[in-house]
Amino acid sequence: MSTSLNLRWQGRPTRAEPGPVLDCLQPLVRRYELSVGPRRVRTATYLDTVDWRLRRRGLVLSHEGDSLVLNGSSPARSEKVPAEITWPARVEQLAPGPLRDGVAEAMWIRAVAPKVCSRTVSSEVAVLNEDGKTVARVEWTEAACLEPARTDPVVRVTVHPLRGYTRDADRVARALLRTDGFEPAESSVYEGLLRATGLDDAETRPGITADMPADVAVATALLGFADAIRDNLDGTIADIDTEFLHDLRVAVRRTRSLLKICGDQLPSRLAERYAPRFKWVGDLTTPTRDLDVYLLELDELARSLTVGEPGDLDPFGEHLREELARERRTLVRGLRSKRFTALLDGWRTALHKVIETGKSPITAEQLAGERIRQVAKRVDRKARAITPDSPAADVHALRKRCKELRYVLEVFKPLCPPETYRAVLKDLKRLQDVLGSFQDGEVQSDKLRVYAQDMLDGKRPRAATLLGMGELLARFVRQQQEARHELTGALEKFLGAKTHARIRELLP
Amino acid sequence: MKTVASYNIKGGVGKTTAAVNLAYASALTGRRTLLWDLDPQGAATYLFRVKPRVKGGSQKLIGGKRPIEAALKATDFENLDLLPADFTYRNMDLDLARDGAKKAVRTLSKLLGELSGEYDVVFLDTPPSLSLVSENVLHAADVLVVPIIPTVLAQRTFDQLVDFLGDFDGRRPEVHGFFSMADRRKSLHRKLLSTLPTERSDVSATAIPALSVIEQMAVERAPLAVYAPQSPAARAYDALWAEVAELLG
Repeated sequence: MSTSLNLRWQGRPTRAEPGPVLDCLQPLVRRYELSVGPRRVRTATYLDTVDWRLRRRGLVLSHEGDSLVLNGSSPARSEKVPAEITWPARVEQLAPGPLRDGVAEAMWIRAVAPKVCSRTVSSEVAVLNEDGKTVARVEWTEAACLEPARTDPVVRVTVHPLRGYTRDADRVARALLRTDGFEPAESSVYEGLLRATGLDDAETRPGITADMPADVAVATALLGFADAIRDNLDGTIADIDTEFLHDLRVAVRRTRSLLKICGDQLPSRLAERYAPRFKWVGDLTTPTRDLDVYLLELDELARSLTVGEPGDLDPFGEHLREELARERRTLVRGLRSKRFTALLDGWRTALHKVIETGKSPITAEQLAGERIRQVAKRVDRKARAITPDSPAADVHALRKRCKELRYVLEVFKPLCPPETYRAVLKDLKRLQDVLGSFQDGEVQSDKLRVYAQDMLDGKRPRAATLLGMGELLARFVRQQQEARHELTGALEKFLGAKTHARIRELLP
Repeated sequence: MKTVASYNIKGGVGKTTAAVNLAYASALTGRRTLLWDLDPQGAATYLFRVKPRVKGGSQKLIGGKRPIEAALKATDFENLDLLPADFTYRNMDLDLARDGAKKAVRTLSKLLGELSGEYDVVFLDTPPSLSLVSENVLHAADVLVVPIIPTVLAQRTFDQLVDFLGDFDGRRPEVHGFFSMADRRKSLHRKLLSTLPTERSDVSATAIPALSVIEQMAVERAPLAVYAPQSPAARAYDALWAEVAELLG
């Protein structure tokens, strides 16, 4: 046994009195001495990103007293927390050091926030050999959730092996498991707490099935997007991290695309009424997102300057942050407005009604076949019309059609053969990457010109700043040119017989 | 990964107590620390209550026949592991020489390289001698902590060591001498304690006092800071660790 073994205690909680462990280890007392350590009581706040990025990588981050503790990495890390820290926090707000390095990749640009807060009572039994050397540790832990809801204690007894003494830990584990009191636990204390509070349940959005009426299928997908908008709303308003707004915008874009492609399946002109409202939400969120993207990339852009110094762009960064603060105020006002609340509530109510009463004569499978074929045809037509000299507007139009195809494919994914679906998506993604690079180059260079003019009209920046921005502009234009160069090859591949055959195979 | 060797040509000068207490101090700061007890007498191994045995002995370990990881033992302290002593280490010189004269002085350095991802600091507790094992240690070390008893002969031995290192090609360890077993009741000790650090930049003013609390380590079988954290000797080791940590960067 080289890793810790979690056991479940079958009896009642003991407030971490390890009596049952001592009883079960009695057969080993001729070989070992048992030493009981003091009881420890602590409050632990477990942290993760909203999309469980740490948990998915097996990392457990907790705030205990004035320390931040990371388990699941090798070795476990514990560091003092900066006194000024508040949760949620992004990685740059954690103190530099091995613990931050241990979570940085998993956290990415997302903030960690409290998931559960528990009161934990624990005690340790050290198992000592004839030299008085500790050869295994048995930890009794009882953790009761305090927030978001109070729960009964989760009891775990963990046998910790020590390097070079794994046989001793094996003996201890076997002795405990030989009795009726202990059985292997499938989950750790943390997982037990998540289960006790219901937080571990996978999100169970109703899925689309092949024989579902088409209107119910469309409403089901749209309701999923509406949930995503709702779930990301508070984080966007509180500016916990930039991904909340990004995810909200993706859900809005998916909603608008599906309304355009399959909105005719919804009753009583629902799509016509709501399409402009969601366009308003899209427009409301665009300026903040554009500025977020710029600011996320600014450090890397500054480092890429070949003539200027990275610091030359500091006034530009300051300008962007001022703009962002202003745009965010507009965004938050919009998202808190009655107009937005009414939109989301009304939309969800209407969708629920469709799901309850839908009676479309065609099935989801039939609709999927028809609409994927239709959108794929549109993409094909647009793609074939693109030449190296096509105006940028045509390339953008193709990009939009590709996005529509991607979204409609994602909606009907449950009805597609998985392998073919993955292959089609891979082909499409390759093309979308090139189109995205082309679009980003253009949008960012256009925006940069506007920002430069705004700065000149305002505080009049230093020449070095404008020169640095000029270098960035050249980079964006070059990026766009390179993307256009790559586009010919990407289109040839996408328009080839293989992709077409895969799309045909995908259709019912 | 940085390597700190506790070394002196002379025996009984406080190498092992320095290695044990400095390694413990390093682990306390959160650094993943390993102590390799290279002395076949196994005093450091004894102090951590570990049995002085390495499966396959020196020959297999040095010859690379058994992975170094397989010999590691956890101590009772977080972040601190031990590579125990083994009586066969008395033949380590021969085992090192088997590798061919050219590479023989870098074998330990190469073996330690296998652990570079696992530890932040490795301490080497060395046997007293000037042998092939010692040469390996001197080549592997980033910092050499050298206990000096405040006597003229001990100072002379320290000079010999520094001269010997001066002949090294390429990378040389940073030498950090410190006074060990210092007894301020003796006038010669007092004199050297006050003059040597001012005359030499590679000798620290930190002095580990000759106190029975240090000898108690063999009774307690634990680092000094575990059972006498407030003692002057424990504080002196803390000060010494602060200096070493600074040298490690």
